[in-house]
Amino acid sequence: MRVTSSVSRLVGAIGLSLVAAVASVAPLRAQQATPSISVSGAVTQPLTLTATDLGAMPRASVTTNSNGIATTYEGVWLADVLKKAGVPFGAGMRGPALATYVIASASDGYQVVFSLGELDPDMTDGQYLLADKADGKPLFGENGSFRLVIPKDKRGARSIRMLTSLTVVQTRK
Amino acid sequence: MTPRVRRRRSRKRLRFLIPLAAVCLVAGAATRQAEYEWDIPAPFPRPPVPPDNPMSAVKVELGRRLFYDNRMSVTGQRSCASCHQQQYAFTDGKARAEGATGQLHPRSSMSLANVAYLPALTWANPTVTSLEEQALVPMLGTDPVELGLKGREAQFLAQLRNDTLYQRLFRRAFPESSDPYTLGDVTRAIAAFERTIISVRSPYDRYRFEGDTDAISPSAKRGERIFFSGQRGSCFQCHGGWNFSGAVRYAGDTSAHASFFNTGLYNVAGDYSYPSPNTGVYEITHKRDDIGKFRPPTLRNVAVTGPYMHDGSIATLGDVLDHYAAGGRTIASGPFAGVGHDNPNKAPNVHGFAMTPAERLDMIAFLTSLTDTAFLHNPALSNPWKSR
Repeated sequence: MRVTSSVSRLVGAIGLSLVAAVASVAPLRAQQATPSISVSGAVTQPLTLTATDLGAMPRASVTTNSNGIATTYEGVWLADVLKKAGVPFGAGMRGPALATYVIASASDGYQVVFSLGELDPDMTDGQYLLADKADGKPLFGENGSFRLVIPKDKRGARSIRMLTSLTVVQTRK
Repeated sequence: MTPRVRRRRSRKRLRFLIPLAAVCLVAGAATRQAEYEWDIPAPFPRPPVPPDNPMSAVKVELGRRLFYDNRMSVTGQRSCASCHQQQYAFTDGKARAEGATGQLHPRSSMSLANVAYLPALTWANPTVTSLEEQALVPMLGTDPVELGLKGREAQFLAQLRNDTLYQRLFRRAFPESSDPYTLGDVTRAIAAFERTIISVRSPYDRYRFEGDTDAISPSAKRGERIFFSGQRGSCFQCHGGWNFSGAVRYAGDTSAHASFFNTGLYNVAGDYSYPSPNTGVYEITHKRDDIGKFRPPTLRNVAVTGPYMHDGSIATLGDVLDHYAAGGRTIASGPFAGVGHDNPNKAPNVHGFAMTPAERLDMIAFLTSLTDTAFLHNPALSNPWKSR
């Protein structure tokens, strides 16, 4: 699946979105390890995903415009990642699922919370891309290896960079 | 053919010729703008150009001559370039700018790098958005005196009119004008030159946009991450976007507005937390919430634009980083004593962060990677009178 969304005023997608990193204190070992994202918490199938794993999933892309520079991010819809971990979208999005949220965490401690309902493509038109490439190249530097890109947001603050984990938290059983 | 018939015919011809001439003028102006060759690499956008001042190579050349012409000042010894020197990324290396008569400006000279993209031009006036209009301030301003041309406008324009080089340039830059030796055309030409003062070829640009992974050092890469960390430096929250100055305007979208921030540089006692006359946007709006708010300047070439801050009150980049890491500057004694951290208008982004000495060096390395040496030595932006 390939969806392209042009967002003319997402001033933050590159420059103003929130990021992370404690690179100067990052141990050499961590730099050498294959970057990955963990999906854990209230899921039936906890995951650790590398760029190779994401590459094997259905791919998607969005194009943002930050101050006149267009960037095409590629990756996987966040909903597909959560589905793979067993999160109940679609018909299952009722009762406790509607009282469940996801914490996206970056390597510098920055965090953003999303309700599960808003991430369900059967529930909203939101676009939440877990990106691993920009303009055809793997993400690097201040982006980290993975980030979220949320082109329909008016500000870039939730398009978290240096993404390392997704934690699903159920508030009701 | 009687004279009357001849007159009628020639009038008729004139009726056709006038619209035709108008079309040609408009088409000519459009062609000139289309033909102007911007020297801007991908992926950067072109700057916006006002429709009433289309770009042309000869207009840029005229503006460059004027920008560097000492006849632009009352003493004949200073020009725009006195406070905007190419080697300092079009600043002057001084804490506060000095006018033609020696009067010190309250604020520090701002870099002109990428000035064409800015939604507001000066340190703290949201209403100054036109390069053409802004140029009149240093030319004619009296408080402070910068170039000091107020009252000498006619003499200055006469000098231009009598100069053979300018005669050639003005005629070609403003072919539609019967008398182009006006302040309006002078500022239009200077603005056209200023729009070409573009800096997008730093080592960081090669790293970020051209795939040259070794263009900046590992230290600079570590500094980049602190700069862009919302948990740590948060620097990007004010100095965001590719110009490191916040949102910019560009050809096709001029909707961006400037943002102004109080960074906790001062917190002096009294009615205003910032020392007079530099009370920031408050000087324009007289809203107390605007006290101490200034525009974040571009950080491109910042390693060569010191001293820093609106009043040049911080000498080095390292000291600027210490100010931000502390979440505001504390001045222990003297007339400006106060704890900037506690300034009531301080931006939430200036929250302070832990910074080791090594990280301080990393951030300096990152900021230094924004120095565009090709820009600082670009012959197209240099003083054209030197080679005369």
